[in-house]
Amino acid sequence: MTFETNRRGILRVAGGLLATGLPLPAFAQGAAPPKPDRIVVNASGGAMASSMRRSYFADFEREHGIRVVETSPVDFGKLRAMVNSGNPEWTVTEIGGQDAERAKELNLLEPIDTSIVDLSRYPAIGRQSHIFVGSAYSTVLGYRTDVFKDGNHPKGWADFWDVRRFPGARSLRNHPVDNLEFALLADGVPMDKLYPLDMDRAFRKLDEIRPHITAWWSTGAQPAQMLVDKEVVLATGWNGRFFELAKKDAPVGSEFTGGSLKSSAWGIPRGTRHAYWGQQFLQTMTKPQLQAIYATELSYAGLHPDTVNYVPEEIRPLLPTAPDNLKKQFWLDVGWWTENAAAAQERWNRWMLQRG
Amino acid sequence: MLSPGLNRRVIARRRERGLFLLAVPALLLLGVLFAWPVLRLLAMSVEGGTLEHFRKAALDGLYVSVLLESMKVAGMVTAICLVLAYPVAFWLSRAGRLGLALGMFALLLPFWTSVLVRTYAWLVLLGRNGVINRALRDWGWIEVPLPLLHNMTGVLIGMVHVLLPYMVLPIYASLLRIDPDLPRAAEGLGAPAWRAFLRVTFPLSLPGVSAGCALIFVLSLGFFITPALLGGGRVIMVSMLIEQQVREFLNWPFAAALSTVLLVATLAIYALIGRLTRGSRLATH
Amino acid sequence: MQLSVQRIVRRFGPVAALGGVDLEVAEGEFLTILGPSGSGKTTLLKAIAGFEIPDEGTVLLGGEDVTLAPPRQRDVGMVFQNYALFPHLTVAQNVAFPLEMRRRPRAEVARRVEDVLRLVELQSFGGRLPRQLSGGQQQRVALARAVVFGPRLLLLDEPFGALDRKLRESLQLEVRRLQRSLRLTTLFITHDQEEALIMSDRIAVMDKGRIQQIGLPGDLYARPATRFVADFLGESNLLEGTASAASASIPGFGEVPLAAPQPAGPVTLLLRPEALRLGGEVEALPCRARGTVVETVFLGLSAKLRLRLQDGPEVLARVPLRPSAPPPAAEGEVVTVGFSPEDVHVVPRA
Repeated sequence: MTFETNRRGILRVAGGLLATGLPLPAFAQGAAPPKPDRIVVNASGGAMASSMRRSYFADFEREHGIRVVETSPVDFGKLRAMVNSGNPEWTVTEIGGQDAERAKELNLLEPIDTSIVDLSRYPAIGRQSHIFVGSAYSTVLGYRTDVFKDGNHPKGWADFWDVRRFPGARSLRNHPVDNLEFALLADGVPMDKLYPLDMDRAFRKLDEIRPHITAWWSTGAQPAQMLVDKEVVLATGWNGRFFELAKKDAPVGSEFTGGSLKSSAWGIPRGTRHAYWGQQFLQTMTKPQLQAIYATELSYAGLHPDTVNYVPEEIRPLLPTAPDNLKKQFWLDVGWWTENAAAAQERWNRWMLQRG
Repeated sequence: MLSPGLNRRVIARRRERGLFLLAVPALLLLGVLFAWPVLRLLAMSVEGGTLEHFRKAALDGLYVSVLLESMKVAGMVTAICLVLAYPVAFWLSRAGRLGLALGMFALLLPFWTSVLVRTYAWLVLLGRNGVINRALRDWGWIEVPLPLLHNMTGVLIGMVHVLLPYMVLPIYASLLRIDPDLPRAAEGLGAPAWRAFLRVTFPLSLPGVSAGCALIFVLSLGFFITPALLGGGRVIMVSMLIEQQVREFLNWPFAAALSTVLLVATLAIYALIGRLTRGSRLATH
Repeated sequence: MQLSVQRIVRRFGPVAALGGVDLEVAEGEFLTILGPSGSGKTTLLKAIAGFEIPDEGTVLLGGEDVTLAPPRQRDVGMVFQNYALFPHLTVAQNVAFPLEMRRRPRAEVARRVEDVLRLVELQSFGGRLPRQLSGGQQQRVALARAVVFGPRLLLLDEPFGALDRKLRESLQLEVRRLQRSLRLTTLFITHDQEEALIMSDRIAVMDKGRIQQIGLPGDLYARPATRFVADFLGESNLLEGTASAASASIPGFGEVPLAAPQPAGPVTLLLRPEALRLGGEVEALPCRARGTVVETVFLGLSAKLRLRLQDGPEVLARVPLRPSAPPPAAEGEVVTVGFSPEDVHVVPRA
């Protein structure tokens, strides 16, 4: 018997005591501390917030009787200031993709307590010391299904670059992230050999596609809109946006081959008062049934391998985390980007300025 | 002991000071919300006692080109606004009550929608398969869609649309201030309408023209949503780079240095516009 | 006729601002349009200058029909009420403006500007801006600008209104002098009857869009054709009474003999305040009345008295004063007033 299961045992006892309504003794470690009347969860807001309310928040409130108050937006600077002031208001917060690594390095987060948050069935990318991966999304290839019919659409970035076989206007994001990877994949670099990125080679490859790019998009709504308006026939975009179009029966399909997976990071600000209940909240977020609700609504699926089983059949192929899709994609190396983002961006700006 | 006369001067001065108090809230607000942040910005740009950020912002080819490009865009927007706004302002200054109300309503309409909605509306209108191109194709006027979007044309259309009122209103105001007897007198003295306009009305409206130009030029430099969306990434404004530095890289000192260079360049242009139109401004006050 | 206005009508909605105006101004003549505000005189001026197109009628300038011609083709010099000097141009540039518009050679422009500035005694002010001049100087610049190109007609639209009294009087004389020396046909618009009397060769009194009477200043003053003219031009006592052949019965004064017999019935007599006498000489006058002094106003060379007549109306009397003499009567005093029958004018009934 390990220490961990020991602690689990104690917890169960504590739960039992609670259930019988007896006063709870103060345990030195591992025991459930007294329940606050509420915890604060800070997230992106918008459509995600309402979906979270229907899935995770509702379940947590039902199970523990603690109200979940939501705030937004995600703000790394504020997280840093809160932790440094010693009294973080947030119990749990979402963290912007590239800031997750930094948050850990700057010691802004409580470690994930795996005795509470059960990550045993999570893939390796989801088992991190301080970061909880809430869900995954991917930058994928969107295409007009009426232009490229019967499965004859570009399957991967080499095809996207092949303007002879797949003619038509294209759109890429006005940002180096993803695009450098896509260019290298198009140039024949294998998915597992992408990092560290060869910027010279990537920009050389980008030179080839530049004349065929109608627009370099800057907001997530743009590529979806341009595909719908037939302004372009091929575009990269966030899978959630194409998912929405598919749900509305727009003639837009998404191809996951070579997709760039990213995870949404969550953490517990160090020193927050109800850290224990923060761990409990993250545990709620691991439940595949709840992840399925969230995934069905937004296509942003959690990493629990069972989630896909609770999702309606027709939606499964549209999820970046569906096993078949997962195999075709790569995980964006947040570490590399944290290190090289400024240099890559500056080079990108110079490249954009060259015209073409 | 003060002499009675001196006492009265003290009372008079106190009254003037009372009037100054009226301006204090606005001055305080400006001080807190503008002067102080600008000073902090300056301080931040030389953080760590290094001028490295300034060297880069003012000398690096990338940033110099983008700054020049931004100025070019701002200059073009200003010029187009002037050409479009003057006739509108002229008409408004002579319109009847109904015309004025309708004109003002149409003019201020863009302010009632958010930048984002307005910009997306342009995407729908200007696209290759957008309303305008489709109509032109249906009427057989064109065969190949006009490139109205994802280039400089799109950026200029979007920016001019939003900024036009800022040009119309000051010109309208300065035209209203012109005594209607002046153009009348010019015509009575033998001037055809267009010469009366060129020799009398237009020079007298220059204060409004210069105010409008200065406003639009400065506002244009701060635009980044509209050029980003309508320019399809092909028009880079310095404000986009500043925003990048602040939001993505948390590189506040460099952002501050870029902003300072922009501020100095803007003030220089402002001074230039002021100098060009000072003569006429003196004459009308 | 240098200017001939024939049957001009201008309506604004249901209101006729000009209800059929006829007017003739001879070459070199100084004619004043006198009328209260709203009488239509400004609309008439605009129609003559070309800023207003009349609904009916004709405007002839030097025999040429200019009714529909734009202002620039009329060769009319105009001085606006507020002068309308171009604020961004210097005095010399303002004066040169009409010459430049006529594309005169530069040397000629310079010479004529200099000449006309000397004429209005502003030769050293050519380089100044209008706002650096006093009101009177501005007015002279406006005049110079209006006459420099040798207009067929000079229009003056209440040009003295903004000036103080002393300046106004000296400028009135100066304008008159200039107008005579240049032999300029001039149409002068004013609501100030005193100004009109001082300056004009002839006066046309306007009311309600029509010319009520036109004539020499003295004639208009002594023999107004209508009650309005009598009342508007100078101060007046309009005595109502009943005529019977060669005399009229006036309350307070009794029977007043008339120079020309009038048909029996109601009659209005005009008696100017200065024709009403007070004091010793009254006893010799045939028409007398007793009245109480209600108010006296000291006017320098004269005094104005308001009296309530016994069994009669209130009347005004204007009596000359001598510096050393005592005031003619105090308020509340009962005095006898009288007039000579030949000072009375019978106002024709409309």
